[in-house]
Amino acid sequence: MATALAQQPNEGNTYTFSSQPRAVPNRRKYRDQFAQQNSDEVPHHGNLMYDRRVIRGNTYSQHVLPAVAQPDPVEIQRQQEMRRRAMARKRAREQLRPKSPEAVEGRKHIDIQTELYLEELADRIEEADVQCQTDDFLDRPPSPLFVPAKSGEDKETQILDNELFNFDIEVKPILEVLVGKTIEQSLLEVCGEEELANLRAQQRAFEELRNAELVEQQRLEEQDRRHREEKARRVQQQREVQEKERETANKIAARAFAQSYLADLVPSVFGTLAEHGYFYDPVERDVESGFLPWLVDAVNTDIDSSVRARALLDGLLREVIRDRHTAYRALETRIEQQRMAEEDRRAMVDPSAAAASETQSQPRDEDENDAMANLEATGAPGDAPDADADDSAAAKEAEDAGDADAEGEADGEGEADADGGDGEDEN
Amino acid sequence: SKMATSVISANLPPNIDPTKATMAYGNGALRRLNRELQDTENMLTRQKAVKALCDYLHDHEHVAAAIHEGIVVSLKSLLRDTDVTCRQLSTMCFYVISQHSVGREAILDTGTIEPLSALFEDAEDICRRNAHMAIEMLSEVPFGADGIVQAALVPKLIEKVKSEHDEIKEYILDTLHFCLIVNTQDALKAHGMEVFTSLLASNLATIRAKAARDIMDLSVPLDGKDKAVEVGTVPALIGLLGDNASAVRANAAGALSFIAVTTQGKYTALNADCVNPLLPLVNDPNSEVRVNALKVVTCLAEAPEGRKILTGHVEQIRQLESDEITNVRKHAEIAVRVITWRP
Repeated sequence: MATALAQQPNEGNTYTFSSQPRAVPNRRKYRDQFAQQNSDEVPHHGNLMYDRRVIRGNTYSQHVLPAVAQPDPVEIQRQQEMRRRAMARKRAREQLRPKSPEAVEGRKHIDIQTELYLEELADRIEEADVQCQTDDFLDRPPSPLFVPAKSGEDKETQILDNELFNFDIEVKPILEVLVGKTIEQSLLEVCGEEELANLRAQQRAFEELRNAELVEQQRLEEQDRRHREEKARRVQQQREVQEKERETANKIAARAFAQSYLADLVPSVFGTLAEHGYFYDPVERDVESGFLPWLVDAVNTDIDSSVRARALLDGLLREVIRDRHTAYRALETRIEQQRMAEEDRRAMVDPSAAAASETQSQPRDEDENDAMANLEATGAPGDAPDADADDSAAAKEAEDAGDADAEGEADGEGEADADGGDGEDEN
Repeated sequence: SKMATSVISANLPPNIDPTKATMAYGNGALRRLNRELQDTENMLTRQKAVKALCDYLHDHEHVAAAIHEGIVVSLKSLLRDTDVTCRQLSTMCFYVISQHSVGREAILDTGTIEPLSALFEDAEDICRRNAHMAIEMLSEVPFGADGIVQAALVPKLIEKVKSEHDEIKEYILDTLHFCLIVNTQDALKAHGMEVFTSLLASNLATIRAKAARDIMDLSVPLDGKDKAVEVGTVPALIGLLGDNASAVRANAAGALSFIAVTTQGKYTALNADCVNPLLPLVNDPNSEVRVNALKVVTCLAEAPEGRKILTGHVEQIRQLESDEITNVRKHAEIAVRVITWRP
């Protein structure tokens, strides 16, 4: 029923609708379908402004249908109240509105028209139905060439070739730059390569020289080394030969010397050995080493024993002599006393016999004194006075002769002892 | 009419390479390229940036500015990129950078030798070739060769020489030549002598010449000389004495001259009949060939047998004493002196 808007065939069509927008048609006053079908192409479009279905005004306080179909009695009452109050308010406002003063008596206020042309005021609005319909949308025809109206004078001008712009002249600087740059760049590169080639050639020349010199140097080194080695070898050889010669000379000399040295080696060796007693007669050795020491030991033992015996004997003798000495001394004193007494008696009787007995008894007394003194000396070595006496006696005799005399005295003592002993034995 | 119209065309202007990044003006160009190089998400950006950089660096002044900007570090990380074009273009950039001294210093300072050498194993020929070219450029200066030797690349390079294409072999042989001047031990340990000897039989004259030159470098220390005699390099070199290319003859003679310094080398050469091919070389048009031939003669004349053989040819050598090149004259005199020496 709604005609789709003809599609604009332009390329810039960027918007498509899923449902083309269309104006909402007015509601049919009459439901007669058959009568309206013919005029279906010309629907009645209502005015949007007077369409009751369009909500106008503030939408924030719209009437919302009550949720419940049945109106709430309280709500109904309240609404009635509000309506009554609104009516009351309106009446009050009406009353308060300042009105123009009442008409004077006999006159009446009437609304009249004061325009030039009177107008019939009626409720009925004159209506007329007018229809209009645009044609089907066609392609927009190309806009006609706008040819403004001619005004002013006709003038013409023409730029011929080569008047404004001479290509050949203009292009020259550009070409120069282009060609110049290219050539410069290529020159640089070629110069670079040439320089490189020169460098390489120089390098080769240098390497040539260097290699030759290096070979020469190595060859000379090698030569030098060979010569040196050869020299060293020869020197070594020479040294070896000399060494050998010297060694041989040394050997010969050593051999001669050794021979001469060893010539009388054997006899001297034997002699020395014999000297040192390495060659010995076993019997003699045995006798010397075995028998003789034994002999000597035995002799020593014997002598020791005899010495011991003698000492013992001496001791014995000493004891005896000491005892005897004391006894004799006592006896002597008694004898002396007796003699004295006798002499006294004799003196009284015979003086010459006393002198003779005195001389006889004097050497015997001297001998006895000596013997006693000696015995006491030897018997009591710790006896100081007797030792002094002996020492003085010994000193006297020692002054006469040295050790021999002392020995002699010792022998004399021994002999005196022996004599004493013999004397005793005799006694 | 020839007047220009004001229609804006939908096509790009001609002569613009869509595979290159647009360059910002002036100083900003490098900064922007550097930023784009570090863009890890978008591979296309990186590719275009590297391509633009490659062309930009051909100007010498730009190289210094680029290094100052720190492009080398960004390029270094690009060497491990998964995309082939990125790797290839970054190696080419490194080749251009290594042609300049500041570039070489920058390469050494940032430690780029390691990643570059990792690219020796790359599947793509171009990447490998560019990497080798860059390393070769780097090795031509002493501190560059030092850096390469310290990174223990010499054994790796010798491995590669056996298996690579001829074109790349030449670069590797050049690199090895400069590295051998610095250090020969690594190469000797990695069986360099055997590899070079096998290369002497190559088809290409340049490879033969370079291999002979590398053998010469390797024979400078004593171990090298002994190794050469051991491996049988001497007969191969004597074979090359009659080669057509003068560079090959010169280098072969040079190598022989070093080997013949030791007694063992001398007798090996004499036994392999070295003198006969050598004599024509004494009159060779190339001065280097003459000098090297004279050196071999001198070394051989140290040995009594050699002296005996060469005494017959003294006159030929004496003629060279009036040669135009000073070097030749000097060595001719030395040779004559050695030949005519009596113990």
